[in-house]
Amino acid sequence: MSLQILINGLATGSIYALIATGFALIFNVLKFSNFSHGATMTAAAFTAFFLVSQKGMGLVPTLLAAGAAGACIALFGEFVGFRRILKNHSSATYFFVSSITLGTLYEGLVTIRVGSNFFNFPSFFETPTLDLGIIISTSDAIMFLISIAALLILGYIIQKTRLGRALRAVSFDRDTAQLMGIDSTRIIQLTFVISGVLAGFAGVFLGIKYTLYPTLGSLVVKGFIASVIGGLGSLPGAIIGAFLLGVVETGLLSVLGSGYSTIATFAIMLVFLLLRPQGIAGSNVQEKA
Amino acid sequence: MALVSNVLTQIFITLIAVAGVYVLTGLTGMFSLGQAAFMAIGAYASGLLVLRLHVPIPLAMLLAVVLAVAVGYLIGYPVVRLRRDYISLVTLGFGEAIAALLNRMTTLTGGASGLTGIPRTVGLGITAVSAAAALTLVALFKTSKYGRQCIALRGDELAAKAMGIDITRVKMIAFLISVALTSYSGCLYAFYMSYVDPTGFGWKRSADWVIMVFFGGVNSLTGSTLGALILSALPQMLRELLNFRYVIYAVLVLLIINFRPSGLLGEWELTPANLRALPGGIKRALSRKRRGAE
Repeated sequence: MSLQILINGLATGSIYALIATGFALIFNVLKFSNFSHGATMTAAAFTAFFLVSQKGMGLVPTLLAAGAAGACIALFGEFVGFRRILKNHSSATYFFVSSITLGTLYEGLVTIRVGSNFFNFPSFFETPTLDLGIIISTSDAIMFLISIAALLILGYIIQKTRLGRALRAVSFDRDTAQLMGIDSTRIIQLTFVISGVLAGFAGVFLGIKYTLYPTLGSLVVKGFIASVIGGLGSLPGAIIGAFLLGVVETGLLSVLGSGYSTIATFAIMLVFLLLRPQGIAGSNVQEKA
Repeated sequence: MALVSNVLTQIFITLIAVAGVYVLTGLTGMFSLGQAAFMAIGAYASGLLVLRLHVPIPLAMLLAVVLAVAVGYLIGYPVVRLRRDYISLVTLGFGEAIAALLNRMTTLTGGASGLTGIPRTVGLGITAVSAAAALTLVALFKTSKYGRQCIALRGDELAAKAMGIDITRVKMIAFLISVALTSYSGCLYAFYMSYVDPTGFGWKRSADWVIMVFFGGVNSLTGSTLGALILSALPQMLRELLNFRYVIYAVLVLLIINFRPSGLLGEWELTPANLRALPGGIKRALSRKRRGAE
């Protein structure tokens, strides 16, 4: 039983990890919390649903479409919501409002298209469960593997490639990076693209795991909690936090039921903030002077 | 006439909540995306106290506000010490948790079908007086010592600290005032609608309020009030476009943020001195425009 919970928790955690890293990437580079991330997930998942899955294509085309849609939406958001604010060196509060507004915009557009209906992805797998001594649902297993693969690729890009080095330089100090000949606008766009792709994947996975509905994006809260537990602005922290949250939440869910477990995870986050505000990874981003 | 009074009452209720958000966001630069959850606490707590325990209504409202402030203190305690991002993340989580809880505690709150049968005792008069009182209170707070300290720490927290301002304390005070105002608006809402349900207290409503504050002018209480008036009256006029409401909002606000970041009114406040200076100011602005045209 407990092994079952662990496995289910890791599967849930892998989706949270996708959300949390997409969120943490933007936080790293622009130093603000991107509240449009949730609505980006919803919009990308719905785009993929209408353009690809409904035509009977499988999981891989759906994911590709969602990734592409997420990237386009995030790029649009960067251009409409953040470019000008960045150029004017306005206060960080405007990033907040901009991201909240973009979130409202995407969610509004999705609602206009679909109303408040629920949609189901077609079942992508022939056998719903795998029996490896313990029962694992096929979709959970596949989602876990794809998430891990995506995170590994992301890790490789950030740690090993020139682009990744530029990205790290820009998130460390944008102005200095610019002086060293890095086109920081390009890098910021790239960050939004990566974050959008991750959002698209996460949106599809959430849609498979639950259902597709216009306020699906509010599940982004799990990603936020994971980043807070892991340490705001740290990618490894976000991933560790996400898996931890997934396992703890699945455990609580089996004990307390859905309503109270939400409260319990929230309480855990508060206690965490009280005892170790810098998060697991210990990188505390201070307000710049 | 009934329609007009209904619309006005709802606008006044929103106005009280927005006055709270102005203290938090406009003065202190913090964002709460779970502010509507405090409205839910006010509405549910006062409604339940009257329905289940037969507490007199004014006392129930007072107790509900006290409860909301106590919860706000618990949430705020770890958060005001940290970077300002945390308050948005934590309040967002809090809002979702409260919504889940209200849906779940069916025996107490009626779950998803809501709490019904609350006596309808609040009308246009009480809400109008309350809104005026709330705005006066916030206007006085803005010019008080604490209000000035809020504005100082919004500009630069480190510098404010260096000037000897206890930023943790000031942030907490601002947060609790906004919680009190929002939960009070929730009480009025419950006793006006005579019915509350968990939908409509999500992050979208909180985001709505932040948007109203920024629309009118984040640095000006008059501007925020104006923003609340315009943006809550707008959907009433565009009833057929209800679905497009959020999209229209969002586009308006994006335009404002990009091209006039200080909002419609900027820093301008409605004070007798400013009002007297207004005709001259308009004349000056017009002549500047004319000169520009030449």
